[in-house]
Amino acid sequence: MRIIVHNAKCQGHARCSAQAPSIFTLDDEGYVLPGDINVAQGDELLASRAVRSCPERALEVDSPSAARFDPAAIQPKAGEA
Amino acid sequence: MAINPVPDHVPPEMVRDFSLFTSPGMPPTPNGDPHAAVACAHDGPPIFYSPYNTQDGRGTWVITRAADQRKVLQDAQTFSSHRSIFSSVLGETWPTIPLELDPPAHGVFRSLLSPLLSPKRVTALEPAVRERAIALIDGITASGTSCDVMKDFAFPFTVGIFLRFLGLPDQGLDTFVGWAKNLLHGDDVERPVAARKIVAFIDELANNRRKDPVDDLMTFIVQAQVEGRRLTDDEVRGIGVLVFVAGLDTVAAAIGFDLAYLARNLKDQELLRSEPDRIVLATEELLRAYPPIQLIRVATKDIDFEGAPIRKGDYVSCATMIANRDPEEFESPNTVDLAREHNRHAAFGYGPHRCLGSHLARREIVIGLEEWLARLPTFRIKEGTAPITCGGHVFGIENLILDWS
Repeated sequence: MRIIVHNAKCQGHARCSAQAPSIFTLDDEGYVLPGDINVAQGDELLASRAVRSCPERALEVDSPSAARFDPAAIQPKAGEA
Repeated sequence: MAINPVPDHVPPEMVRDFSLFTSPGMPPTPNGDPHAAVACAHDGPPIFYSPYNTQDGRGTWVITRAADQRKVLQDAQTFSSHRSIFSSVLGETWPTIPLELDPPAHGVFRSLLSPLLSPKRVTALEPAVRERAIALIDGITASGTSCDVMKDFAFPFTVGIFLRFLGLPDQGLDTFVGWAKNLLHGDDVERPVAARKIVAFIDELANNRRKDPVDDLMTFIVQAQVEGRRLTDDEVRGIGVLVFVAGLDTVAAAIGFDLAYLARNLKDQELLRSEPDRIVLATEELLRAYPPIQLIRVATKDIDFEGAPIRKGDYVSCATMIANRDPEEFESPNTVDLAREHNRHAAFGYGPHRCLGSHLARREIVIGLEEWLARLPTFRIKEGTAPITCGGHVFGIENLILDWS
């Protein structure tokens, strides 16, 4: 599981690091550090809780299976060659 | 107080008889529940116009949905927070800082102050916070089986921590709380008097720290540099006044409402006492159910926002207690569920002006509840007494007499 960090949206609520301090690291001002986060397998539940706790919606779960799945590849839209 | 007429651009059908100052449950009310009273805002349209919704009787748009409040508060360009909230009481216009600065100046000052109240810094303050809570509660239990929570615990606890942070002596506590009370809940005569006293006090403190620096917040401010220069006198005053006012009664009010809830809901009280690990999560739910603040923004341009014809200069109210009872955001919003997990509450606001003191506030509430529950047996509202609540810009509770005999 990968978490996309939208730093421009982070306002330093620090709810993520309160939920999961080992996964989300903050800078000296209290904002989440830039860069997407790869979550270890056992930590997925904790990480998704932390994502849900962000009041600014600055964190997003990037589900790899969903990303690889391209509906257009399987079922072309009507009218398309 | 004169009520301003509804502006011509507001469609009459969007005006609603609702006010955080005058609606039922907002004036001082024995055994009141002002947070539940404002939840009625969700019975109507998501956005409406209230003709009387500030301390000085101005009208505001009222944004009820959490998602819409997020849009307003995250867009500081369109919805400015500079309305001279403090200086206007004195007929002046200087901003409190960083609250009333807009980007990009806001970011410069925010960055200056953020590290002082960061989660890391608050962790370092925690032992002193706990020590203070324990000392106060031990004093209370040693002297009887009832107390006035606000006078004996909530104010001395939160304001005491705050004064230490500012570098001020405890002896000023009653005076400072009195100023804050008059500023927030006083009449047209009391408010300017209180504001003038606070300004004079901050100015004098800044002067003293310039002459004799010590290790405290005001010394940090007078010595600080932004963009390669020292701060101006107005900037020092703008920061000092904001920090002073913001910390004086907000956390105390939250603790008061939380303990009143637990005094009336003994099952929840016992649950937290027997399983104190639940207090951190429960505190978030209590912050959701009983947040003390209404946020107000000023439109910087004409904008049609979710069907509301907002015009430049209009006030836009984002009351945290209304967002926190939004049925589209929270399941059973009027039920207090101390184990609630999905809880993106708005108690500290959203966007670039999100409460800078939130990490300290949160720790104070958690520690206050932990030590209170650990050191007192079952407590109730003392028979024959009634706590008095009020709405307004900052919701409050008084005369909260708890009894554990």
